[in-house]
Amino acid sequence: MMHCTMDDLVAVRDGEGSVWARRHVEECDICRGEMDALYQRVAQLKAVPALRPPRDRWPMVRDVITAERSQRRRRWARGGLLLAAAFAGLMVLLPLMHGRAYADELAQVKQHSAQLEDSLQQYDLDGRVMSGSEADLTAQLEDQIAALDGRLSQMSERAAQDAQLVDLWRQRVDLMQHLVQVRVTRANYVGL
Amino acid sequence: MTLSLTVPDILVARAKAGDLEALEGLFRAFETPVYNLARRICRAPEDAEDVVQETFLEVVKSIRHYRGEGHLWGWIRQIAASKALMRLRREKLRATDELIDEAAGSPPASIGARIDLERAFAQLSETSRAVVWLHDVEGFTHEEIAEQMGRTVSFSKSQLARAHARLRRLLVAEPEVGR
Repeated sequence: MMHCTMDDLVAVRDGEGSVWARRHVEECDICRGEMDALYQRVAQLKAVPALRPPRDRWPMVRDVITAERSQRRRRWARGGLLLAAAFAGLMVLLPLMHGRAYADELAQVKQHSAQLEDSLQQYDLDGRVMSGSEADLTAQLEDQIAALDGRLSQMSERAAQDAQLVDLWRQRVDLMQHLVQVRVTRANYVGL
Repeated sequence: MTLSLTVPDILVARAKAGDLEALEGLFRAFETPVYNLARRICRAPEDAEDVVQETFLEVVKSIRHYRGEGHLWGWIRQIAASKALMRLRREKLRATDELIDEAAGSPPASIGARIDLERAFAQLSETSRAVVWLHDVEGFTHEEIAEQMGRTVSFSKSQLARAHARLRRLLVAEPEVGR
């Protein structure tokens, strides 16, 4: 009589056996006995007493963890230093970049101021009669412009903060625009 | 081998945060089952100890990625099996597997009855031991074993059947069954 091989028995145990093998294990005492023995061996294997590790490996594991962590911290510290250096470089470069931007702006505002000076020349109505209020406003604006010019002439462009210098020139341009407006209005009024 | 393999969630959470005490807690909870798994696969106890160390270093490195799906032991067991099998491959013990298997193939009949299961198991080749332990004791599927070993599913199945045939021969001094 043909019996199951161990492949057949293991396959039947794992629910993968052929129809023949499954039926044979049910019908054959020898193969059923082999199947029981297989189950017993596995059960015994599962029940073998646990082996204890002879040495405690935790201190070694902990040392490796600690070493890796301090290595990582050093890497972070190096990264931090690089970042700080990059930041410092940026702090040096940014004012230079801003300085260039202020210089461009200063040149523009000075050019605008010069154009307004030209416009004032065209509408120079000093020789003509003005109302009292107009004369008063014109005088105030001219005084303010003179005061600004005084402050600008006192400022050394090198010593002054670029932003402050640009601001003073902008104020001068505003006053000049106002003055030009007064004179344009007056010129229109008198029919020039 | 009955061990409690349940650890509190708070311990896992603290370990994920890198708490050294919690990591030690996990080590203490799983060092014995990891050692046993490794010990059944690796022949030398020192190798099994190394597997324990490598497994826990991997656990420390990867625990942040453990999402709590399934039992923690299942996750650690996968790492341990992988490390143990990697050690087998690295040491090229597989090359001598067949020799060991065959050399021990014919024990004297008189000691067949005396030999206990553990001793018989110890006589199996590295690969056979690994397959039997991972499949029948740890509950790995043949697919998982094949993947871990870099072999085919049919290789895992045939190794298992072959190992059981050999265990039977070692334990029972009877003629082998066969078609």
